Amino acid sequence: MIRRILDFVAILIFVWTVLIIGLWIIASYIVPFQLPGESNAVLAGTLKVVFSAILALIWLWTWREIVRRLFWRTIRKAGSGAGQI
Amino acid sequence: MQNEMLENLWILAAGFAGTLLILPFIMRRMRAAGIVGVDAHKRDRPVVPEMGGISVLIGLAVSASAAYILYPTEISLIASFLFTALIAGAIGILDDLKTLSARVKPLLTLLACAPILILRTYNPHPLLPIIGELRLTIVYPLAIPLVIAVTSNGVNMMDPFNGTMSGTCTITVLAMIVSAFILGRGDGLLFSVCLIGPLLAFYYFNRYPSRVFSGDVGSLSIGAALGAIAIIGRLELVAAVAFMPQIMNAFYGLSSMGRLYERHEVSRPTTILDDGRLMASADPKAPITLARVILARGPLRENEAVRVFFMLSLISGILAIFTAYLMTVTT
Repeated sequence: MIRRILDFVAILIFVWTVLIIGLWIIASYIVPFQLPGESNAVLAGTLKVVFSAILALIWLWTWREIVRRLFWRTIRKAGSGAGQI
Repeated sequence: MQNEMLENLWILAAGFAGTLLILPFIMRRMRAAGIVGVDAHKRDRPVVPEMGGISVLIGLAVSASAAYILYPTEISLIASFLFTALIAGAIGILDDLKTLSARVKPLLTLLACAPILILRTYNPHPLLPIIGELRLTIVYPLAIPLVIAVTSNGVNMMDPFNGTMSGTCTITVLAMIVSAFILGRGDGLLFSVCLIGPLLAFYYFNRYPSRVFSGDVGSLSIGAALGAIAIIGRLELVAAVAFMPQIMNAFYGLSSMGRLYERHEVSRPTTILDDGRLMASADPKAPITLARVILARGPLRENEAVRVFFMLSLISGILAIFTAYLMTVTT
């Protein structure tokens, strides 16, 4: 039971830490991002949204991969009926 | 301060009593009308009344009315909170009585945020730890429908075992109460208190072994109410962190299937053994839900699996409270 919970504690803490770091990166580097020239304001705004979205997708993808790998590795190790696919 | 705490206790008691008193009546009515579900995780497959979540909506209406009596100046905030939950509840009733497709239901829940947008009871300056306040004048209102749809459907998908939905949501709301207190968010505290009373009363009947199921009317309205608290109460990030088990569950399920799905459309993620224990399904086509990941290490009894869900919510709740603390010390 404890191992089961510890797996998730590790995932939750990892996801939370990456979330806070990601928000810090967005606020410190992406939000202040500017392109030279006034006419580039729309392009700069679009790039900010794209960069932030890419970061969010990387966060989600990493989260999904960790759980996916953990799940199948655990199933294989457990060698239970659940693993016979 | 002491007065405010006493008033919050009254609101909590009103919501608790409203749900506790009406639920046995709803259970009898649902059983008589044949609106029942089979508890699939028990060997004897007992038949349990469905749509008990209506009592949560009634309790929420009672606690919101008590909040209005005590804080009449907050009428627009209280109305937007209550009507968001009621709209989601109405969508839930529709889904319980006439099953909606996997695409239509999330689309309809986007509409539940209408009271918040119409009454403009949001503040587009969310507070984040380390960073401080963000100015999201355009993006924020556009994100509100998405937030309500994610929270309502996230809670809706987090109901695999007896008491999981009501228990995990109770822990989430408790974490939001503590966080609102730390951050001095009076509105967040008020609405969390409005929700916790009905949730506690419903959990009493819904806990393992369940005497009633919430139905989509309960899960969608509770989820929408949680989203409304996050927005109206300005607890956006705190709620997102406290809500991580629900996000995890929905995200794993959807990403493993690669599409929106209804429970009855896909293989069951868990199976039941002869001794009554539950184990992860062997079917490669079944979604990788949180329940399936929890059971991957080996079979568990249903009440043990429920305890793992509660532990996850508790840990997320502690992280949410720590996030609130970080907000106060770093901004």
